[in-house]
Amino acid sequence: MTALGAAAEAPMIEAEHASKWFGDVVAVSDVSFGIGPGVTALLGPNGAGKSTLLRMLCGLTPPDRGAVRILGADPRKDIAVRARIGIVPQQEAMFEALTAFEFVRLAGLLHGVGDPAGAARWALDLVELDHADHRSTTTYSKGMKQRVKVAQALVNDPAIVVLDEPLTGLDPRQRGHLIELFGRLGAQGRCVIVSSHVLDEVERFGSRVLVVAQGRLAATGDFRAIRDLMDDRPHRIRVRTDRLREVATELISSPGVLAVRLEPAAGNRAGAVIVDTADAPLFRRSVAAAAQRADATLLEVSPLDDDLDSVFRYLVGR
Amino acid sequence: MTTTPSPKAPPLRSGPALGRVLLAEYRLLLRSVCTRGRLVAIAMLAGLSVLTAVAVALSNPFDPLSEGVGFVNGNIATLIPVAVLVFGAAVLGDLIDDGSLVYLWLRPVPSWVHVLAGWAATVTIVVPLVLVPVVGATAVIDSSPALVGAAVVGGLVAVAGYAGLFVMLGVRFRRALPWGLVYILIWEGFVASAGKTATKLAVRSYVRSILGSMTDTHLKLGEFSLGVGIVVPLLIAVLALLYASRRLARSDVA
Repeated sequence: MTALGAAAEAPMIEAEHASKWFGDVVAVSDVSFGIGPGVTALLGPNGAGKSTLLRMLCGLTPPDRGAVRILGADPRKDIAVRARIGIVPQQEAMFEALTAFEFVRLAGLLHGVGDPAGAARWALDLVELDHADHRSTTTYSKGMKQRVKVAQALVNDPAIVVLDEPLTGLDPRQRGHLIELFGRLGAQGRCVIVSSHVLDEVERFGSRVLVVAQGRLAATGDFRAIRDLMDDRPHRIRVRTDRLREVATELISSPGVLAVRLEPAAGNRAGAVIVDTADAPLFRRSVAAAAQRADATLLEVSPLDDDLDSVFRYLVGR
Repeated sequence: MTTTPSPKAPPLRSGPALGRVLLAEYRLLLRSVCTRGRLVAIAMLAGLSVLTAVAVALSNPFDPLSEGVGFVNGNIATLIPVAVLVFGAAVLGDLIDDGSLVYLWLRPVPSWVHVLAGWAATVTIVVPLVLVPVVGATAVIDSSPALVGAAVVGGLVAVAGYAGLFVMLGVRFRRALPWGLVYILIWEGFVASAGKTATKLAVRSYVRSILGSMTDTHLKLGEFSLGVGIVVPLLIAVLALLYASRRLARSDVA
């Protein structure tokens, strides 16, 4: 695992060598970490084991090896600790017969909240939904359902908030609103853990990050460190231009360039130079000058591996 | 946004009031499991049973009590267990299948509350939807208090016993409906009729004993006393619900 920083706070969620497998498939492998107050993003590509890890943390599925603790308790055995957890699961299904208000009020009642109806109105206000809406949630859009799920997760004023891809289906304004809400919950001392496979989304959380890839914890630490790591690792960049060979000649002697390969023109598409570089920022600064020296026009400069999957592959391979 | 959550997390509570929770879950499960398709299908079967009773009554039966006992026995062997299966297996099984169980499971509520609420919801649906028409139809054949009383007691015991079994089946198996039909048709209908030892393993035999005892008639493989006939199916239901609770507490929740 790549350590990108350390959390100094006392952990509210702990995993100790936790592993989970389904038949021959290892979903989570020997994961250890501790999370304190604030927002922590669980980042990883689809199928990396994020949801399984979150389910383990909440006690929804037991680890096959190792242990998880929430506020020092085992959430599978100690049902009292569940009163302090709020979860937004990934699945869309809710109780179809209920309205949003009834659904959130029920969650409050099951948590033992003193005034479930008042708490439900409060929680629905938080996510900007109308508590007087008498429609069943089956008529709601995906984004509205997500907000109802967030409301039921907050109705008991939980110390631990677990959110599995909570921004799926939301419009940009609502995404911004919920990101701001999660940040505020974290700033208030709650432990908020949010899973996502979208790097830009995680960047907006401005949070600590746990990077999960192939069931393993590939890196932990501050988001900026992840960004730096993305810039520091070897990159492959496509440079499309009208003067292939001249630009390639200039680029091969540029600082930080490891290898250069030509991609011939095809049909109406111009040819390209594929560059492997150890220093992407330096390359981006020098490519324009190289084209100028070659008297060429740059048609496109685009990264070929600036996606999360490639970052994860790199982290796992280190 | 109108308010913000309080910054301080609440102290650990001793837990919600289980009576209120049980009632809330009971109402929820009752609403959830009563789909139009299920209600119409089972109501049609119940209607068919009533029509059968009317046909029997119109044919001037030679011995109304015997015909009535046979009618109740037939319904307890087929209609009641099938109706209970349809609702009992789905009452928690649907939530497990679509993943909404998490909204009950991840609460500070013991699992027996979910199971008991599911059982109560199942009984609540089946009694008016099936048992009341069957008892009414029985009265059309023979309105003697002994037969009607036997139909009420036997029917209630059957509903309670089967509901325990089939709620457990819904928790235990993903495809509980076919498993339940196998149980009703193959086990209770065939294997458990094979002899005196095997018959002890079928709810139907005990309910048959209730009918026999209360109407003073002899029914094949229904030779337990009235007390045993009532207690054993209820005990089976309790054991099934305990197992379902344990299973639910230890299950993987999506």
